[in-house]
Amino acid sequence: MRPSRLHAGHAFLIPWFVGFFGLTLGPALASLYLSFTNYDLLQAPGWVGLSNYVRILTADAKVAESVRVTLLYVVLSVPFKLGFALAVAMLLNQGMRGLPLYRALFYLPSLLGASVAIATLWRQVFSGDGLLNRVLALFGIQGASWVSDPDTAIYTLVALSVWQFGSPMIIFLAGLRQLPRDIYEAAALDGATAWYQFRHITIPLLTPVIFFNLVVQTIDAFKAFTPAFIISGGTGGPINATLFYTLYLYQEAFGYLRMGYAAALAWLLVLAIGAITAAAFLTARRWVHYEA
Amino acid sequence: MRHNKSILSHALLCAASLVMLYPLLWMLASSFRPNTDIFTSISLLPIPPDTAAYPRGWRGLQVPFSRFFLNSAVIAILSVIGNVLSCSLAAFAVTRLRFPGRDLCFALMLGTMMIPYQVTLIPQYILFLHLDWVNTILPLVVPKFLAADAFFIFLLAQFFRGIPRELDEAAVVDGCSPWRIYWNIMLPLSLPVLGTVAIFTFIFTWDDFFGPLVYLTDIEAFTVQLGLRGFLDSSGTSDWSAMFAMACLTLAPVLVLFVLFQRTLIQGIATTGLK
Repeated sequence: MRPSRLHAGHAFLIPWFVGFFGLTLGPALASLYLSFTNYDLLQAPGWVGLSNYVRILTADAKVAESVRVTLLYVVLSVPFKLGFALAVAMLLNQGMRGLPLYRALFYLPSLLGASVAIATLWRQVFSGDGLLNRVLALFGIQGASWVSDPDTAIYTLVALSVWQFGSPMIIFLAGLRQLPRDIYEAAALDGATAWYQFRHITIPLLTPVIFFNLVVQTIDAFKAFTPAFIISGGTGGPINATLFYTLYLYQEAFGYLRMGYAAALAWLLVLAIGAITAAAFLTARRWVHYEA
Repeated sequence: MRHNKSILSHALLCAASLVMLYPLLWMLASSFRPNTDIFTSISLLPIPPDTAAYPRGWRGLQVPFSRFFLNSAVIAILSVIGNVLSCSLAAFAVTRLRFPGRDLCFALMLGTMMIPYQVTLIPQYILFLHLDWVNTILPLVVPKFLAADAFFIFLLAQFFRGIPRELDEAAVVDGCSPWRIYWNIMLPLSLPVLGTVAIFTFIFTWDDFFGPLVYLTDIEAFTVQLGLRGFLDSSGTSDWSAMFAMACLTLAPVLVLFVLFQRTLIQGIATTGLK
């Protein structure tokens, strides 16, 4: 090894070093500190010990509300999204003609879905006199006022998430193509039905991909923000029905300038996501089959 | 029987894609309709097409949308340059150079991928506020030049590992400096994956709503996403045609990239699990 190369390695990493210490590690530690203070940007942070955390966990009804909304969103959107993704991927994996076209069409919503334009469209489609109810009226069905009814508002967000099943679908499709064909041929010779093959060959062999999609989509669902913000006009309404945890955090930080409290909310979110990811990896040993 | 089954699959897939794309096509059609028709017409053909909503939406706020498009384009293009340069530099260092602490650095890069942005958000905001960067593009662009998107480092590192080492070893023997190996050998050989990084960076920054929402409060500095949201709040729900017209325009650049680079995008997702 030459000294000049030794030097170059560090030189190449200078931008990353600056970013890592200045934008990641430093701020992460700073937000940990702020979470034990009250800070409104105007006066210096005042140390309050654990009181932010105590209030979040015991005394803030809006936190409880936002956790309920967020969990409902995660628990409903992730399984439906992955279910659709797998079903369509299986259909497409039969060696169909026009596969690239279908794949592109199904993927398109995933690419556009995060934008304000689509969230806006959703707000119209699911309003009382919006597109969905117009279509339902053709069948003589009187639809609800989906977006402004606190009982249904969250389902419009779930629908928006499920609509974007394209990216896990592409990952499933790539996984399905890797499966060895000879196993299926042998199973068919032994008289295994299509369902039996799906249940006892496809699913077990696909568990690594299912696991990957599950973890990625769950973390993404916890971090969702824009659709709820646009559809509720930034309020999380009606009556907190779409108050995602991230939206509440945003309101506390930038609406009320309670930076310390919001930092504590952020750290609890990290702990929650970390715990769920860790749990997924721990249970994975029991149901994810990696090839020996 | 096999034939029938295939027809059935096609019918299913056609129906499903139609249902999925119907709202999008309807939005496009509605942008060419007068407001009075939006709540009554469910057809996909606006007859006769009425383009009045486009100029109305374009000037719907006190600042025209041209300003928002320009702001978004500047941020997206600078972000692309930043990500391509800074992430490839870091990826080159951790895959091709030997220096103490290299493996630790790579582990830290992977570690930062796991950290949700909410945790660094507030101190970053305070930092940029004190630097007087709020209402400028700097808080959105500078992090890209500091390899803050660790995911792309990982993606590039994977690709660099596949390039034969003999190439740069030969170059070292010929007296090439690491900089020249990086610039003249690695980057030209990595154009496909650099393209993936560039396209995804462009789309992510173009669609980003949260970053601009936090850092840009002056309407002159708004991106298209903020402009659209401002329009929705001010007159969108009373002028849906103009709202949809602007919504379609903000989607257009992403759609064009999608049509041009569909294969790259889909491969990027299939191999890495990107959005």
